[in-house]
Amino acid sequence: MTVTADANTTTATPEDAAPPRRAPWWLRLLRDRAAAAALILLGLIVLAAILAPLISPADPFANSRNVMIPPIWSERGMAEHLLGTDGQGRDILSRLLYGTRVTLLIGLIGMGLGGVIGSLMGLVSAFYPRLDPWIMRLVDMMLSFPAILLGLALVAVMGQGVVPVTIALGVASIPDCARIARGIAVGIMKQEFIEAGRAVGLSDLTLFVRYLLRNAISSIMIFMSLRFGQLILLGAALSFLGLGARPPQAELGMMAAQGRDFLLFAPHIAVIPSVLIFLIVLCANVAGDALRDVLDPRLRG
Amino acid sequence: MSETATQAPPATAAATDDVLLDVRDLKVHFDTEAGTFRAVDGVSFSVKRGKTLGIVGESGCGKSVTSSGIMRLVPMPPGRFAGGEVMFDGRDLLKLSEKEMRGMRGGRIGMIFQEPMTALNPVYRIGDQIIESLRVHSGLGRAAARRRAIELLDLVRLPSPEKRVDDFPHQLSGGQRQRVMIALALANDPELLIADEPTTALDVTIQAQILELMRDLSARTGAAIVLITHDLGVVAETCDDVVVMYAGRVVERAPVAALFAAPQHPYTIGLMAAVPRLDIQSDRLETIPGSVPPPYAKIDGCRFASRCPVATDQCRAELPPLRELAPGHSVACWRAPLEDVA
Repeated sequence: MTVTADANTTTATPEDAAPPRRAPWWLRLLRDRAAAAALILLGLIVLAAILAPLISPADPFANSRNVMIPPIWSERGMAEHLLGTDGQGRDILSRLLYGTRVTLLIGLIGMGLGGVIGSLMGLVSAFYPRLDPWIMRLVDMMLSFPAILLGLALVAVMGQGVVPVTIALGVASIPDCARIARGIAVGIMKQEFIEAGRAVGLSDLTLFVRYLLRNAISSIMIFMSLRFGQLILLGAALSFLGLGARPPQAELGMMAAQGRDFLLFAPHIAVIPSVLIFLIVLCANVAGDALRDVLDPRLRG
Repeated sequence: MSETATQAPPATAAATDDVLLDVRDLKVHFDTEAGTFRAVDGVSFSVKRGKTLGIVGESGCGKSVTSSGIMRLVPMPPGRFAGGEVMFDGRDLLKLSEKEMRGMRGGRIGMIFQEPMTALNPVYRIGDQIIESLRVHSGLGRAAARRRAIELLDLVRLPSPEKRVDDFPHQLSGGQRQRVMIALALANDPELLIADEPTTALDVTIQAQILELMRDLSARTGAAIVLITHDLGVVAETCDDVVVMYAGRVVERAPVAALFAAPQHPYTIGLMAAVPRLDIQSDRLETIPGSVPPPYAKIDGCRFASRCPVATDQCRAELPPLRELAPGHSVACWRAPLEDVA
């Protein structure tokens, strides 16, 4: 071959050297101490919620005459109720475990619902510019409809419960997800590899799934993980307003609402579930931020 | 798909000789709010089998739109074909269905892009991108396609291809990525290779290697090449014929030797004078005075007239047609041949 100074030898030369390999993303994530702490705490909360039936010290739905027992660290605390009891004598720790389950599920399913539908709308919008104005005007309409109002309307139709609240949260997060996904996808569509994929003769479906979706998905997931905390808050707010879980079912927002009546003489009933909501949202946000720092290609230095 | 294409009777006499691609009066316009942008406005040229045609011109002259027009990759809307034909092996590509056109892209026509850094899908292993193209067009099985992909990477002289086939694009350097792009474009033994500024984004030393590789491979496979570039040096080294474009039109078309020996259009002459030379000492770089007319401007005459040192009233009023001055050497200029003017 006439080409002698070719790439056979050039991997070692600085001009044509391949960039160095980076540590895997999860390792870089764990090096961030705040993120590692948030992830571990969130993992423990999720684990406790999953194991609720096994680790609950008492029946979360059974009333007793021991009402408004304060937590164990106060003077009147009782050893069998570590976090005390609520206004109807139910064990708060047990209710907390079951309530976290419901709260997390509402957030996750709502996020999944809104994330899948919203992201698809955004991606299609970017992929077919012809459809863009139609889809985005629909999104604008949805955006102008408050989630709380939507929740009220759904509860009016379907009755009080976890399902309408979850649907309301899902629908409420569609427009944001659609806009974010569209923004990410428009940036990807401008890159040359999309045209290169077309030039190879790929079908629209292949291009959409393997070239657009695969490139967009990590950024969309990062956004969704950041959004998850907000959705938990919104779900708790809806339950607080009495739209969500039906008694005697436990849900963190509802527990806070029930404790409101005893705020002055038994503050722990409202404060404990509120603190847990705060912790879940904080951990989700910190972990989401760290995940973005690690995964988002646009932030790579 | 490619069977039906080869069986189709040659539509014109031009297709019976060895002309592979015959672009006739191609017009690609963009409808924007500011008006109609005539990016390509009546471009004609042809490419013979196994030959290399260079398209030169400065940024924005429509050379890239011409190449994506041939591949029908111009986004529509806002773009549209306002006229013309793209005869490929006797069939008008503009009249094919989208499905037939997909079979052409990456099958009988391969394309190499300017930016090797962004033209490969970052989340896919390079081997998988080649395998994907092979399976779409040749219907090869997975294992056979993988073997062929490794063969192709070896052909473009990527070191240790059996290992590199599983690399992601970010693990390769710019030159290596361009080699992968070439392997991808050549995967299905195309008859035509369109290379849109394939070396612009590369180091000069790598540029020469890539051009050498393209020339070598096209000689081996007999593929014709359309090479789009703004680099006259690249044209002189690699092309058989040259088309010079200015503001969406062909101003001069000639065999490469004839063009460099006796350029006829004032723009071509200006372009050549603007190339810095080592053998002539000069304190300043040559430029062509003035600037390209705004894309939306409606100009009746020659589009170069406002910058042309020898323009006349006729140049400003009437659009000069492409005239053949010598066999194979055409120029769109009222004043050509220029010997008596200059």
